[in-house]
Amino acid sequence: MRRVSLLRLIVVFAWTGLSSLGGGRSAYFHESLVRRRGWIRHDEFVQDFTLSQVMPGPNFSNLAVVLGYRLAGFAGGVWGLLAVVLPGALILLAASGLYAEGAFGTGATLLMRGLSAAVVGLVAVTSLRIMCGSLRGARAAAIALLTFVAVGPLRLPTVAVVLVMTALSFALYRFAPGPHPALPPTPPPAENA
Amino acid sequence: MANLALLTWTFLWLSFLCVGGGLGVIPEMERQAVTIHHWLTAREFVDGYTLSQLTPGPNMLVAVFVGHRVHGLLGAALAGLAMFVPTSVLAIVISHHWQQWRDRPWAVAAERALLPVGVGLMAGGVYTLARTAIHDGVTAALAVATAIVVATDRVPPVVAILAAGAIGWLLWR
Repeated sequence: MRRVSLLRLIVVFAWTGLSSLGGGRSAYFHESLVRRRGWIRHDEFVQDFTLSQVMPGPNFSNLAVVLGYRLAGFAGGVWGLLAVVLPGALILLAASGLYAEGAFGTGATLLMRGLSAAVVGLVAVTSLRIMCGSLRGARAAAIALLTFVAVGPLRLPTVAVVLVMTALSFALYRFAPGPHPALPPTPPPAENA
Repeated sequence: MANLALLTWTFLWLSFLCVGGGLGVIPEMERQAVTIHHWLTAREFVDGYTLSQLTPGPNMLVAVFVGHRVHGLLGAALAGLAMFVPTSVLAIVISHHWQQWRDRPWAVAAERALLPVGVGLMAGGVYTLARTAIHDGVTAALAVATAIVVATDRVPPVVAILAAGAIGWLLWR
């Protein structure tokens, strides 16, 4: 069941974690594992992504665990998590120390403002790529849109929104079964699989 | 000692509130850390969140920043462990069983129902992020320019972001 060696998994996950700046970082995994390396098919990624989103916990670390598990079993899950979280934690710890000593002046604040804005552009594109490949049918699109409006502009509590929308989604598909929103899989764009 | 236990416990239950991306839990985390426990000021919390955005890895590493403010190295370690370890153990248990259950009808139904919700949450996360980071014409232009550059697939995303940050710095300086 192991698709890649543990060492390669650790190196690639650590690099994915280290090169992921900004929010919505799951998109980096899509870029790294699906688009670039073809280790994971798009439909598999969408399944794992959904699972990591609806499970409690920071979704980037959840995704690392689930993808790591898919690629290399239990060890893959554990090492995937460590590779993604530990380097960033040490870097942020160093930054926290510098911050506590007042090392961040006006210049750093301005730089951070520009970087945060750029991150929004990146995250929008990468998220759109995932979304476009995963929604099938009008019902799926409607549920996604409602969920977005509720947690985005309306700023309703996430937990309540997830519970209500999941129930609604179940009901919709139960009374009128339709195509699986993630299947059939879109052909993987893997060039060097 | 009591403070450390409180810190660990707070991030433990906050970690279980992170559903559909960490962005959703930020308001509650700020309420706990700033308003209720007075571990740091609102300004420091925002700075910490921006730092966690701009350093690699999950942005929920902001827990490490808060922990560090509360009790140095030990606080940082405890907050980080509380944030990531319990939910990750749960994730590995679930994914272990999910691989076996995946083909059962109820599992297919569950995935079918959950997927659009997950997509909506992702979009909501982008929205929240935009609301915190885009204040004026320059920040909006930087975001749009980065999006266009990233969409062409010609430059590594990190390079595009660093370039935009440098341009912003030059404009505001």
